[in-house]
Amino acid sequence: MANFKFEALTFTYPNGPAPALESVDLSVRDGEFLLVIGPSGGGKSTLLRHFKSVLAPHGERSGSVLMDGVPLSDVPEREQAAKIGFVFQHPDDQLVTDKVWHELAFGLESLGCGRERMRVRVAEMASYFGLEGVFHKDVAELSGGQKQLVNLASVMAMNPSVLVLDEPTSSLDPIAAFDFLTTVKKLNTELGLTVVLSEHRLEEAMPFADRVAVLEEGRLTAIGEPKAVAEELHKRGSGMALAMPSAARISCAIGCSPAALTVNEGRRMLRSMGLARKTLPETPAPAKGETVLRAKELFFRYEKDSPDVLRGLDIELRAGSVYGLVGGNGAGKSTLLKALSGSAVPYRGRVEISGRRMKGRFSAFEERVGLLPQDPRTVFYPVSVGENVKKAAAGRGAGEEEIERIVSLMGIGSLSERDPFDISGGEQQRTAIAMILLTKPRILLMDEPTKGMDAGVKRAFGLKLRELASEGLSVMLVTHDTEFCAEYADTAALMFDGSISAENTAREFFCGNTFYTTAANRIARDIYPNAILTEEVTALAKRG
Amino acid sequence: MRRDAFSDIHPAVSFALFAAVLVLTAFVLHPAVTGISLVSACIYTIVLKGRRALLFDLLAVLPFIIVVAALNPLFNHEGATPLFYLWNGNAVTKEAVVYGLVSACMFAALIMWFYCMNAVMTSDKVIFLFGRVLPALSLIFSMTLRFVPRLVSRIREVSAAQKSTSPPMKKGVVSGVRHGISVISVTVGWALESSVVMSDSMRSRGYGGRGRTAYALYRFTARDALLAALAAAFTAAFVWAAASKAVYFRSYPSVKCAPMSVGAVIGLAAFAGLCLMPALLNAWENVKWRILSSKL
Repeated sequence: MANFKFEALTFTYPNGPAPALESVDLSVRDGEFLLVIGPSGGGKSTLLRHFKSVLAPHGERSGSVLMDGVPLSDVPEREQAAKIGFVFQHPDDQLVTDKVWHELAFGLESLGCGRERMRVRVAEMASYFGLEGVFHKDVAELSGGQKQLVNLASVMAMNPSVLVLDEPTSSLDPIAAFDFLTTVKKLNTELGLTVVLSEHRLEEAMPFADRVAVLEEGRLTAIGEPKAVAEELHKRGSGMALAMPSAARISCAIGCSPAALTVNEGRRMLRSMGLARKTLPETPAPAKGETVLRAKELFFRYEKDSPDVLRGLDIELRAGSVYGLVGGNGAGKSTLLKALSGSAVPYRGRVEISGRRMKGRFSAFEERVGLLPQDPRTVFYPVSVGENVKKAAAGRGAGEEEIERIVSLMGIGSLSERDPFDISGGEQQRTAIAMILLTKPRILLMDEPTKGMDAGVKRAFGLKLRELASEGLSVMLVTHDTEFCAEYADTAALMFDGSISAENTAREFFCGNTFYTTAANRIARDIYPNAILTEEVTALAKRG
Repeated sequence: MRRDAFSDIHPAVSFALFAAVLVLTAFVLHPAVTGISLVSACIYTIVLKGRRALLFDLLAVLPFIIVVAALNPLFNHEGATPLFYLWNGNAVTKEAVVYGLVSACMFAALIMWFYCMNAVMTSDKVIFLFGRVLPALSLIFSMTLRFVPRLVSRIREVSAAQKSTSPPMKKGVVSGVRHGISVISVTVGWALESSVVMSDSMRSRGYGGRGRTAYALYRFTARDALLAALAAAFTAAFVWAAASKAVYFRSYPSVKCAPMSVGAVIGLAAFAGLCLMPALLNAWENVKWRILSSKL
């Protein structure tokens, strides 16, 4: 097993204005599960990359990194390759070969492992991680969650003593993400593997951690047990307090110590307080604007003989509203967005924009439908963020003023010189949205817009979305993020089996569901049946 | 593709068998040899792909044979036995007709064997075979196999994303080229970035160190040894028969064929054994399954 010690580690990127890491002192104990949290751009990736010499970024460095008491630079690369496992953010980019079996064997092949030993290790990994069924498959056939599991397994095949994971679940849906984190936790408890994980999904990850380290602007601002850290962040009024699990936010806000972390703990806490049952006043249904986008009985499938992805789907989007669509993987959410933006043609049914029926593969640009694709990187040219924004603005001749307004609205002014492929996932998301807004859409369709955003950015983004809606933009977002949907959408709907199975105002929708609802609602539903936000629960509980 | 027993044997054996059949078919031009090879290849394509293959054989391979067989005597006038004269005074000879027919069948047989080989030797097997000799090369092959479809699907995604960020493509070459360039340029940015991550991921897992090995997806079993020995024996017997001219055929200057002899029979039987091995293996396995399931 392995322990790490960072002593006064300071690191500055070449041309970086300020150090990315500033005198970080951190020790990671044997067999510990350490969770590294912090806002995006706070230095989490930079810190994690210092766990392995080949990944350490170029730049100015002082201080030291010790592995088992030996300076990491003195540990031979070969030994580091095997002993320190590293899993990156994008599941697709880190896969090297075309087949699952080859990927599992890749590290062992590199180390020159013998044939019989390799066979045993690979077999062990495939069965431990439940990959027997896909062993001979092309990696391209796997889902995102399976790909990330293959990445984990192929690192584990080398028998590492420490596992470093850099936001491994940021592009996975919540169910796949939870499965992945559970597997990591299992490795930690069953094998005593030291785990260092950076994450945005704290609702799931916090309860798993032994200790949590908070990294803000390159400094280690708090470290300790999860509950203690949650309380400390709340006390300090740090922006990271927003990112804590709902149970922790509620318990801290009403002054309960120790803080609760899980939904179950939160429920127990509220029950023990003997609070009176209350309901929030009904929110008036949002004023109904004109219908800008309507789909009627859409049927779509990708190939003639494949099953229908959309079956008789009806949906309606009104001017100035924010429509949130939730649902499991494979329910057809992304396909629906394709059909509404003219890149997938339904074989039956119609799409109407402002009452006009669309024909075939219509031009989203001409109809002023903006689409934020699942992967924002598909809209970036290999030039700086600023240049990308200008290019996008040129499409409909948006002026300097308009550019400035959108850039500051999305908060990407400081990024203009940066390479769009080099910024964090949340920043990429915001840049792409700014580019799409500059094409002056009237309808904005977004596929998982909050993926990879930290809590602070997410809140700012949500508020901006409301602002845009109040200016008349109609927004439809497809998301797994129930919290975000509950807070910022007027209408929420559940997509299942190719059609909309439930639609209501966001509050009615979420307080009626058991699973597709917010953690705050699950915590407080017995006493506050229609509260869906942590702020609402807190406010009601404070009143007694 | 249907379930094929021959595809389950060790890639080294199947590769060696294909190589032997291809080389012998290509270099021993003899009506019986070519015929055996062609018929066996047809049988095996049907085993592999079912009735569709039969349709392919009849509609594509047969016309090919007819055309090639007809062309040779029209352009090649060597040979001692003229059959008749063309309008321009050139002779259509018996030798040219025979040679054309035999070589057309030979080409058809080669094409069909390649077709079978393509179906049996999957990328996994090629990577495995290369990996034994040059692990680095087999890795590059595998990475290429992954990269190309990824690039294609990425181009599709980028093209879809551009629909909402840029004006629709106008008709005309210039606009089409411009659109193409912008899609490629976005895709290139992504490819460069993802290759950085991939190289990190490779180095992080020890790539670049000395003494790379390759994972063995296949095991060499006793049955593989038996089949390899059988194939080697058949090949040796046929090569002996051909070398000793027991199996001999020439078209020019006059058609001449070695008479039937014990040696010729042994040689041709051995070659038929070699060519029919994949199909016979399937038949054998079918019989075994029949027996097994009748006992249930």
